[in-house]
Amino acid sequence: MSAPRKILVAARDLTIGYGERVVLEHVNFEVARGEVFAILGASGSGKSTLLKHLIGLYQPKSGEVLISGQNLVTAEGPERLQILRRFGVLYQGGALFGSISTVENVRLPLDEFTDLSDEAKDLIALSKLRLVGLEAAATRPPADLSGGMQKRAAIARAIVLDPCILFLDEPSAGLDPITSAGLDSLIKELARGLGITFVMVTHELASIYSVADRVVVLDPKVRGIVAEGTPAYLRDHATLPWVRKFLNRETT
Amino acid sequence: MPANDSNVLPVTWELRPRPDGGMTLAFQGELDVAFTSEAWKALEKSLAGQKISSLEIDASGLSSCDSAGLALLYHISIGGMTPGVTARVTGLGAELEHLFRAFSKEDFAALQDHEPACSSLFEDVGAATLVWWADLRQQVEFIGEVTIGIAGGLFRPRRMRWKEVFRVFETAGVNALPIVSLLTFLVGMVIAFEAAQPLAQLGAQVFVANLLGLTMTRELGPVMAAIMLAGRSGSAFAAELGTMKVNEELNALQTMGLAPIQFLVVQRVVAGILLTPVLTIYAMYAGLLGGLPVLLGLGFPLRMVLYQVQSGLHLGDLAEGLSKSIVFGGIVASVSCLRGLQTGEGPRAVGESTTRSVVSSIMLIILADALFAAITYSLRK
Repeated sequence: MSAPRKILVAARDLTIGYGERVVLEHVNFEVARGEVFAILGASGSGKSTLLKHLIGLYQPKSGEVLISGQNLVTAEGPERLQILRRFGVLYQGGALFGSISTVENVRLPLDEFTDLSDEAKDLIALSKLRLVGLEAAATRPPADLSGGMQKRAAIARAIVLDPCILFLDEPSAGLDPITSAGLDSLIKELARGLGITFVMVTHELASIYSVADRVVVLDPKVRGIVAEGTPAYLRDHATLPWVRKFLNRETT
Repeated sequence: MPANDSNVLPVTWELRPRPDGGMTLAFQGELDVAFTSEAWKALEKSLAGQKISSLEIDASGLSSCDSAGLALLYHISIGGMTPGVTARVTGLGAELEHLFRAFSKEDFAALQDHEPACSSLFEDVGAATLVWWADLRQQVEFIGEVTIGIAGGLFRPRRMRWKEVFRVFETAGVNALPIVSLLTFLVGMVIAFEAAQPLAQLGAQVFVANLLGLTMTRELGPVMAAIMLAGRSGSAFAAELGTMKVNEELNALQTMGLAPIQFLVVQRVVAGILLTPVLTIYAMYAGLLGGLPVLLGLGFPLRMVLYQVQSGLHLGDLAEGLSKSIVFGGIVASVSCLRGLQTGEGPRAVGESTTRSVVSSIMLIILADALFAAITYSLRK
């Protein structure tokens, strides 16, 4: 831990909400390179809303979202595009395009953003599918894949342009525990092997204990972060009793 | 900065002989997605004439590299630029090594070999016939179920969800009045204009009013109203039911013991049958009103026009128009609902069933209209 921490994602005094309603106020956190960072909270605490603001889908009421030091909130035009290229997003349902095959889904960003030859694009797309263990399913349509495989294919698509950050929205939603554990080990492998930084929103305690380096806990009552630390530390030492209870539910 | 100059690549390479007789291809600089394509072509050129017996790729001089660069290194390493000579890649960092290991020529070959299944003409015709046959059976079943549902509703009116019927009546009927008025008004006007000239040559211009009255009442009133119902509300029925099917709401109804046809379709069909005649009468008036300014402009007094329309029309004509409209209303509502219920899976499915609902509705309207024309002609003889 002596090397200087390079901050890749940061929220600075972020206040977000819909219309008149404020969901979270004055949120501050930093995520360092290579870290797996989890945003935790009960249903309705604003975790998914926070994620949508971090990836620039919604505009915050005030504050900054910094992606490798650049403010995504105020960026426009080519600068914004450059920031967007630095991260990939895994949506809850995978969001694969149903009309094209799995490998074409993975190739799509390459087709749109690069001038590589077809051979290079196929080689890259197939290598990403092999990284997530789906090389045998390349030509199948996404609808033929199981839920876990769709998530893996969506991860392959998200990392095809070599982003340094991956945002995951409820990666284990709708998956059985075994498939979910497989996805967790893929996340760990990508974080350790490729140095990808992960920011994930989840309420799946099992996957938090297995992959997350650090978590923040959101509380809808105070409209902000109430605890921050490693999952194991918070489980035993969080100041708020409900946070300890929340983190202990499945492990004791 | 070299990035602005296409002639200067940020990556350079050098082919060095090794003591063991082979060659080392050493890279320096940045090899990323922005320049890989150009580097690829340049390397292909520079390696083309070389006689190489064995090759090693040294990537230790690369300050940055990404998947695109790795794809290039992999392509060279499997002999893509030096036929018959494969190469080892050394000097990649741990993370790049991890990415590089995922490249596979077997996967690539498998993808190239994979050809989309090509079906024969006979298979296609056979499959289309089976689909058509299944669709026909489904339609017959559907008509039966809807008829039973409507009959049930008539015998036990309390069980019918009248609130839903009135809602459909409002959205598909009342809200359609402006567009129906505008279109039929204009159609009436066009007919009056078009008919005025040829009839004037026969000195029979006054009969424009009779013609307008007959066509609007017997033909255009019901057909225009039904086509607008199909385009405006039929498509909405199909999209609504289709989305419910995609969201598994129809399955939820079924497991609750509620038949989707009873619960959703019957109300729409009843509303369609009730509202189309009303809409048709409205369309007839709007069409006549559209012809009126033309006739007045031709110099006929209002009383004369009204007299001509009245004398040209019989109660039978109105009955024909209205009975047509009842049939059309039933067709549009039920076919649109059927197409909605037939919705498949995926994001395209709802769009497809909406298109199919409009196409089938309009086709069946015209078909039924032709049948009506034949029947009424033989009745009049």
